Amino acid sequence: MAELRYVRALNQALSDAMAADPSVVVFGEDIAAAGGPFGVTRGLLEAYGADRVRDTPISEATIVGAAVGAAMTGLKPVVEIMFMDFVAIAMDAIVNQAAKARFMFGGQGSVPMVVRLPHGGGVSAGPQHSQCLEAWFAHIPGLKVVCPASVADAYGLMRAAIDDPDPVILVENKALYARKEDVPDDLPAVEIGKARIARPGRDATIVTYGAALYTALEAADTLAGEGVEVEVIDLRSLQPWDEAAVLESLSRTHRLVVAHEAVEAFGVGAEIAARMADIGFDELDGPIVRVGAPFMPVPFAKTLEQGYLPDAGRIADAVRKTLA
Amino acid sequence: MPSSPANNAPALTDLVMPKLGLTMTEGVLAEWKAKPGDSVSAGTVIFVVETDKIANEVEAPSAGTIAEILVQTGETVPVGTPVARWTGKGFIADEADAPRPAVEAPKPAPLPASTGDRVRATPLARRIAKAQGVDLHAVAGSGPDGRIKAADVEAAAKTAPAASPTEGERIALSAKYLAMVRRVVAAKRDIPDFQVVRTADVGALLELRRQLNAVGGPKVSVNDMVLKAVGRALLSLPRANRIWAEDAHIAFAATDVGMVVNSEDGLFIPILRDVGRLPLDRLAVDSAAAAAKAREGRLAAGDITGGAISVSNLGMFGAKALTPIISPPQSAILGIGAVERLFRPDAEGKPALRQEMTLTLSCDHRVYDGVLAARLLQAVAEALEAPHSLLLTEG
Amino acid sequence: MPSNNATSRSRAAKGSNKPEALLALYRQMLLIRRTEERLSQLFADGEVPGFIHLSIGQEAIATGLGAVLERRDTIASTHRGHGHALAKGVELNSFFQEVMGRETGVCKGRGGSMHVADMSAGMLGANGIVGAGMPIAVGSALAHQVRKTGGVAVVFFGDGALAEGVLHESLNLSALWELPALFVCENNGWSEFSPTSKQFVAPLAKLADAFGIPAETIDGNDVEIIADTAGRLISEIRKGGGPRVLECITQRVRGHYEGDAQKYRDPAELKDRDKIDPLPRAASRLSVLGVSDALLAALETEVMAEIDAATEAARAAPLPGFAAAQADVYTPAGA
Ligand SMILES: Cc1ncc(C[n+]2csc(CCOP(=O)(O)OP(=O)(O)O)c2C)c(N)n1
Ligand SMILES: [Mg+2]
Repeated sequence: MAELRYVRALNQALSDAMAADPSVVVFGEDIAAAGGPFGVTRGLLEAYGADRVRDTPISEATIVGAAVGAAMTGLKPVVEIMFMDFVAIAMDAIVNQAAKARFMFGGQGSVPMVVRLPHGGGVSAGPQHSQCLEAWFAHIPGLKVVCPASVADAYGLMRAAIDDPDPVILVENKALYARKEDVPDDLPAVEIGKARIARPGRDATIVTYGAALYTALEAADTLAGEGVEVEVIDLRSLQPWDEAAVLESLSRTHRLVVAHEAVEAFGVGAEIAARMADIGFDELDGPIVRVGAPFMPVPFAKTLEQGYLPDAGRIADAVRKTLA
Repeated sequence: MPSSPANNAPALTDLVMPKLGLTMTEGVLAEWKAKPGDSVSAGTVIFVVETDKIANEVEAPSAGTIAEILVQTGETVPVGTPVARWTGKGFIADEADAPRPAVEAPKPAPLPASTGDRVRATPLARRIAKAQGVDLHAVAGSGPDGRIKAADVEAAAKTAPAASPTEGERIALSAKYLAMVRRVVAAKRDIPDFQVVRTADVGALLELRRQLNAVGGPKVSVNDMVLKAVGRALLSLPRANRIWAEDAHIAFAATDVGMVVNSEDGLFIPILRDVGRLPLDRLAVDSAAAAAKAREGRLAAGDITGGAISVSNLGMFGAKALTPIISPPQSAILGIGAVERLFRPDAEGKPALRQEMTLTLSCDHRVYDGVLAARLLQAVAEALEAPHSLLLTEG
Repeated sequence: MPSNNATSRSRAAKGSNKPEALLALYRQMLLIRRTEERLSQLFADGEVPGFIHLSIGQEAIATGLGAVLERRDTIASTHRGHGHALAKGVELNSFFQEVMGRETGVCKGRGGSMHVADMSAGMLGANGIVGAGMPIAVGSALAHQVRKTGGVAVVFFGDGALAEGVLHESLNLSALWELPALFVCENNGWSEFSPTSKQFVAPLAKLADAFGIPAETIDGNDVEIIADTAGRLISEIRKGGGPRVLECITQRVRGHYEGDAQKYRDPAELKDRDKIDPLPRAASRLSVLGVSDALLAALETEVMAEIDAATEAARAAPLPGFAAAQADVYTPAGA
């Protein structure tokens, strides 16, 4: 057991993967000499050399496009887009190239690459540095999308993403980088597509992922004080997502809330709610309620961003609504 | 000029669950006679609908090709619900309507049935109710707007002894039977009914029947004579010949009377037309034919609609009396018990042997009050006690 | 308030013996400098939310351009855009109120430092996305061309943005369509934590040449040279000469953002700072031209008073309300 930070767990996973497999390479803006704007890649240049750990110019389209080509040619690139918002510039490489190459070329090969995308607001970073855009990627056949919330999962999902033969979007949350947890010394990889029960309960289920997990747990604490025992499921993977685990929990609690920081409309929660309204219909003893950000850009001023971000109060209210 | 894209595929329209009668709100899709891809001509039977009492063959209103079936066999859907998509034109004819001119302007699609008596319940509550045989209509919902939740059903199941035995063979029921069940449940729930009871001396009536049947001709039953008595009572008391319609009464001119017929598929109530004005021998023929049709499941929508009152007779089984459930939208039903032989004091107070029958009138308080009920019952009893009046065809 | 128009018509020609023009440029640079120093302090005190990028040491470029641009001209800016906004005429109070997240800010507190925009001043926005301003300026130049406004669109961008694909696309399209656009590269030697030398291999002037666009590379810390050159290029463009590229060599004095400890940077790099800093350079030119120290001190006092007033006004200004912001995502019906 040792105390580890989320950012260090990601770093450790990268390092272990690079040690285990010489085809793993890392590149992105200021990730080598400077160790990354958030420190995720610190020390990799020194440990694995300038061949495998490279700073790039500010060229997102080419960073990801080059990752696709490198992955087609025997490397396993892990690339960083500094803020998830900037990935808009690289969408072609992800959506039209990486996601489709395997299928379109008749399964001749896969594209084993990882695109790391830090998302999330809460620090007045404004409309172009705060977004949670994961639903874009979960909508694209051919991509996998993971979003670790715990320190152990930061390690485990990074390892799994690198090992995966297909392109994986690894969504990190900026607010979680500093998070500390006691974790076993020998962290395992975490299977992509498997959710985790972060808190067991019997009265209602909250499905969530990323930093919203902690908001959901806070809401669960509040509700426990009212005698309501909420089960909180940390989805961990968004594509594929653990339908069976959610259905299983719903079959016990019969009430479902889906909470995330991303905009509610057309978001990940919409997919989960729709699937459960279908395959879980007869289990429902109340409406499925979603909690997400309102349909507006992330605003800058503190008063605005406070109103924007889903908080524990809103999640608790959603649970109460399912129980009404 | 930008041209709009050519659209060669024929436009699809909805084929809807037809409304087969004034009060039909939903129907069971009993059978599909056509499948996707089938081309049908006008008049071809496309599907069969069961309502609470009858199976109706629904014919194609025009030629067309069925594109997609939306409601599967066995499903119950409200009137107006699309059951299929097809290339044909026109809407399913409303058979309960009065005869229409041969050429008809296109009518708008029937509106979906009102959801007024739809139960608000969560899917889980519905599932549990079904498994435990709890009637959701009888459960009070504790959720928003009275939504029934699983806990409400469980509480109801605990207080009411389980309606279905936990052991024993489970018997699947026909759609018709279940439709009847829904209908009686709705009637019991929705109609503020009350009962008035009296006896009638039927000695003379039985003697008249014996004589009539001795003459030959169609065999007249006691039931026919009761039906006729009810018809005549309606002639003399038109105020009773009404039904409740949302917030109004509908008054009928014809003295139609329904006749409850028992069959394996449940109870059916064919309606006999203008019974008060119909000669008794004709009535005997009509009632025998209607009973046969009912038992064979051949009743059509037109056979079961109309009338404000029905007669239900259990006399032949020795039951002294019965308190029947009104068949909506009718406003009353007359229950007939067995003929009993009793000593009654005569004018001098001496015992005299009489043959009596118990009449129980269940009536809808939205149409009847106690006086009206008693007067109708009185008129029926007087007709039965002076049975030659039953041979008349006018009031 | 300083008026840009006061200097826009007078050409600050190097070697001119009239100090007025240079004095106005000096005052504008001073205003930007002191404003950013104030923001640095407010940021450290937690009064400015988010993160801010200061242009300290680079004020001459915004100022020189601002002096020759007219109100009808448009600019697209960067994450390091405070100077651009002020030099193009964004009002100081609403600027402070925006950066401090107030309802009365020029963008109602919704954008903050990285998104200061003022359409009425022809300021099309600072930008959180490196390189994003370039095609926006191309489009604005197209509008000037089609609408025959006589205006010019200017894009400011850093050396780091040279590596974004849009630069190349924007140069090509503006040349192809002969658009009234000026590409101003503020080459401060750094792109975040990486030196330009490790980022980009093609000299911008050569690149422009490949597209047939006339380009000049000048001292980005001499406000007179900048105003002079920019004035000439703008008038060429305004006459229908097509796009131009202007690369200004300068220095980033502060970290990439406030709070950046710059561990990656050799402190020796800034040891001659005073010699190249555009403010002392302009001040010594002014004293050669006979402007007294007392006058400069009075200017200083005047500028500080404006900044103090703007700071206090922003502190007192109301915080934005959420509902109004949420209701303003789309244009209201009938507007
Ligand atoms: C598309 C995009 N990629 C990366 C960033 C992160 N980022 C912000 S400023 C910056 C460096 C920009 O360098 P330069 O263009 O030289 O401008 P300077 O900061 O030197 O003014 C980077 C990489 C961003 N904002 N947008
Ligand atoms: Mg730079």
